[in-house]
Amino acid sequence: MTGSTSNSRTPEKRGSSGQVAERPPTVAAAVDEHANNQLAELIETVARAASSMGRSDLVQRLDHTHERLVDPNVRVIVIGEFKQGKSKLVNAIVNAPVCPIDDDIATSVPTTIGYGAQPGAWVIKVRENKESHDPEVYREAIPIDSLAQYVSELGNANNEQGIRAAEVLLPREILRGGLRLIDSPGVGGMDSAHALTTLSALASAHAVLLVSDASQEYTEPEMQLFRHAMRVSPNVAAVLAKTDLYPEWRAIKKIDRNHLKELGEVPLFAVSSDLRLLAATENSSELNDESGFPKLVAHLRADILGQAELIGARGAVHDITFVLDQITVSLRSELTVLLHPEDTPRLITELEITKAKLEEFRSRSSRWNTTLNDGIADLIADMDYDLRDRLRRVMREAEESIDEGDPGPIWEQITEWVDQRVATAISETFVWTDERSRWLTEEVAELFAQDRNTLPTIEVAGTNDLLDVVDPLPAVGDGKLGAGEKIYIGVRGSYGGVLMMGLATGLIGLPLINPLSLLVGVLVGRRAYREDMGNRLMRRRMEAKGIVRRYIDEVTFQVGKELRDRMRTVQRTIRDHFTGIGDEMNRSLGEALQAARQSADRFTEDRDQRVAQLQGQLRQLEQWRGQMPELPPPAPVKEVSSR
Amino acid sequence: MSSDAQHEAHALVREARDLYLASDSATRLLEELEMRLQEPLRLAIAGIVKAGKSTLLNAMLGERIAPTDAGECTRVVTWYRYADSPSITLHPHVGPPRRLRVHRVDGQVQVDLGDLSAEDVERIDIGWPSRVLKSAILIDTPGIASLSQDVSLRSTAFLAPDHSPGSADAIVYLIRHLHPMDVGFLEAFRDTAAGASRTVNAVAVLSRADELGSGRIDSLISARKVATRYERDGQFASLALGVIPVAGLVAEGARTLRESEFAAFRTLAELDRNHRERLLVSADRFVKPGEDQVLDDAVRAQLLSRFGVFGVRLATSLIRAGVEDSSDLAGQMVQQSGLMALREFIERHFIPRSTTLKIRSVLDALEHLLREEPQSGTTSVLAGIERLRLTNHSLRELSLLSQAQATGLPLADEDAVAAVRIVGGQGTDAAVRMDMVDATPDAIGERVNADLAHWRTLMNAPLTGRPAIEVCKVVIRSLEEIASQT
Repeated sequence: MTGSTSNSRTPEKRGSSGQVAERPPTVAAAVDEHANNQLAELIETVARAASSMGRSDLVQRLDHTHERLVDPNVRVIVIGEFKQGKSKLVNAIVNAPVCPIDDDIATSVPTTIGYGAQPGAWVIKVRENKESHDPEVYREAIPIDSLAQYVSELGNANNEQGIRAAEVLLPREILRGGLRLIDSPGVGGMDSAHALTTLSALASAHAVLLVSDASQEYTEPEMQLFRHAMRVSPNVAAVLAKTDLYPEWRAIKKIDRNHLKELGEVPLFAVSSDLRLLAATENSSELNDESGFPKLVAHLRADILGQAELIGARGAVHDITFVLDQITVSLRSELTVLLHPEDTPRLITELEITKAKLEEFRSRSSRWNTTLNDGIADLIADMDYDLRDRLRRVMREAEESIDEGDPGPIWEQITEWVDQRVATAISETFVWTDERSRWLTEEVAELFAQDRNTLPTIEVAGTNDLLDVVDPLPAVGDGKLGAGEKIYIGVRGSYGGVLMMGLATGLIGLPLINPLSLLVGVLVGRRAYREDMGNRLMRRRMEAKGIVRRYIDEVTFQVGKELRDRMRTVQRTIRDHFTGIGDEMNRSLGEALQAARQSADRFTEDRDQRVAQLQGQLRQLEQWRGQMPELPPPAPVKEVSSR
Repeated sequence: MSSDAQHEAHALVREARDLYLASDSATRLLEELEMRLQEPLRLAIAGIVKAGKSTLLNAMLGERIAPTDAGECTRVVTWYRYADSPSITLHPHVGPPRRLRVHRVDGQVQVDLGDLSAEDVERIDIGWPSRVLKSAILIDTPGIASLSQDVSLRSTAFLAPDHSPGSADAIVYLIRHLHPMDVGFLEAFRDTAAGASRTVNAVAVLSRADELGSGRIDSLISARKVATRYERDGQFASLALGVIPVAGLVAEGARTLRESEFAAFRTLAELDRNHRERLLVSADRFVKPGEDQVLDDAVRAQLLSRFGVFGVRLATSLIRAGVEDSSDLAGQMVQQSGLMALREFIERHFIPRSTTLKIRSVLDALEHLLREEPQSGTTSVLAGIERLRLTNHSLRELSLLSQAQATGLPLADEDAVAAVRIVGGQGTDAAVRMDMVDATPDAIGERVNADLAHWRTLMNAPLTGRPAIEVCKVVIRSLEEIASQT
């Protein structure tokens, strides 16, 4: 449709440059595609150098860095209550009627919209694997214009087709930078099981757009949703939709902004999706401006995508520096030995001491490793307790209400109430565990960075003046830029990174919370219950309590297992990440030692040539180091408030 | 018959009054109950915050009395009852009621709480000389799920108190989209209003129906579809008698349509199609000053705030379809807005039963008092309540209907549908009960006799269970009553 033409006119470009002016120019460089390309090239060059030195481990690291830099895979989830215009908002952002819209409840399955040169659509389903009995996830291509038959309440009522998610790729400029928009089913209060699916998806998203229409100010359930979202996601923005329909939207916006102030800095954007879509068909930039979308799109680009790119760029710089350092260590020790043969024993000793310390650092008894293991163990125990405690409270309340009357006639209400309460309890535990695990990640990362700084840097007399350009070996990672932030990407990346992986934790991660399985549990219980309807009241109560107890027991068991698995995934991801760094450092030191030992025996004629070669290489490395863009230090993300 | 019941109820309340002479609070309550028996039906308008309760109330009254605003507005429970001249009485929790000066801004009544805060006020009574109020007292309530928790608690406490019967006889519940909060509230209301699960006194209104379809001209048609889905929704069907889509703002605007507004609409309708649609692209566009605007800026802003985007679209298209004068336009808009459907529903389901509903509320409140504060002699009053409930046929019809709503009847599907109809589930008129709206009285009489035979056979069939026999008894009694009328 004509949307693509209006997109290429990019009103958003104007918007983003407007935002940029408020920031230090270096950010513009980071957000700038050109700078990113430069970084990507540098990564390739350094990777080639590492590969020529036989360091395949470092090459692999750089490959991952490259991947992340090119496609940061920024997931922005659009949430809100029913009928606030979420799907239409997504459609308006990408200027295409992708998500089905209906006057009644439309979306029943989360839909991800990302960039693809060719438009295409898939649904993600789960089937039972016959051999392993584990659920197996698979993708199924569908015609893009029949998406409504799969993801809408009309075509797929109560999700009877068992679809977990849908994915759409569109050739849209705004999506090109790696932005993924996720349209979610409406949330009806935090009690409903729908909310849980949304909540677990929130945890794997980089940013959240909370949509509410301009018909009224925020309601209590919406504020609750905000609070939850802000705990789970680092970047929450509010969208006030349908401004074309409500003359008083400015008054509502003012009231809403006051409500938001209680929560902290949340930017608020007033938009009209209908105007934006009309602007696309009429090709009118004036209408587009009126729709309020340029500001929102600028926010998506500068504050969400831009921030993610900045973090990506920072990660890339960090990785390149790390790799350069690793290569430098062995080159420099070899050079030292060649130039100052008399220092060789001392150098070798120092290298050996460092290596021994590193061994200790890598070992299971190191501080960061202990913190990680203990932390996860504590977290699992606390989570277990928390979950049990909450669910037991639900059970007690249920038993009390059963005791107060005859459970027979009100059984349906009881089951529903139990369902809701259980869902609330689980979502509370979920949010809380998520928060704690993130906190733990950062804690470990900080310890790791600290400990690594205590590793002795190899100071060898007399080498520095030979290489004037060279600064003293910089500490890898300057503390704050710290592994913390990177790991954060690491962990988020692994949740939201590859599609399958992202789904595995985000959506299928909590299969039991799925309303369907909740229902199954209750239905089974209900059948067993009906058979005994004729019994006496006491007996009925006992039966009812038994069913509730069995059900809650089952939920505790399943959800506990899911959450434990989740924690374990976090643990493994963190451990693998840091162990990887340790391994690479270890290998660098090993090679430095070897180089030092070998060059002590080198022939003289070789020697001069080798010295020249090494100096040349080191100079090259320094030159690359100099090519890296300077990036601003990490700062709190939400500094720009919209107007 | 109902007036007999009313007398009996009256007698019971008076009997109780003699027992509680010593207690001031009980005496006051009983006085109130006695008064309540004389009053018209108490119809409460409830719903989540900003559902358009006050707007609907204004539309029902045909006057913009209740203040409305973009933000949350109604904070205190407000009663509108008939009076010969306008008056406002404020009832604080502590202290005597105060008379307030009637002060109107732009037609809307401004209530100045003075030194009191909203928490201190139990309710506000507004007396108004409006014909509509003769048949029902309308009660405007603060929104549920309000961000200020205490406002929402005030509503819940009033409509669905935890431990005592509510003060409303029937309820119009405004929903926007079926929200778990809504269901929870309706359930609570049913529980209390029912006492023991007898409910036929709630109707749901799908409010702001024009907004469901983003103000498109066919919005109300799709709102009707949504409402039908809600009606079929099992969970919801047991909570309300029906779901009616109403575009409150359009209804309110139409009921108070002025000649100048009609003229403005006509000017808009005379514009060429493209021009008009360009103006109506968005609310902002419509009020923006510019060269291609036809009316005064202030007039346009006024039209938009009174009718909304949908209202303006509807009015212009009605005029283009041939509406000639303002009263015709108002009539058609009211018809389209769904207000008529709501009024018909109330007239069919609540007003004919108002005495019964009232007696039931009063009996529940009385029973509650007697059980909470037993005195010597209360048992005889309690027995009286029980007797009245069992012998009064309309009360039994009501309880059968609510049983059908809540749990279904222990009958075959066909019989269950017929039973609900005969006891007045679709309306209390004899023809409606017999599903023979256009038939002659003779034909109805024949049908009644046939049905009587059917139900008597069913009752006496050896396989019919005890609960089913009880249902049959009520149905037969209703049929006999119809027979005596025709």
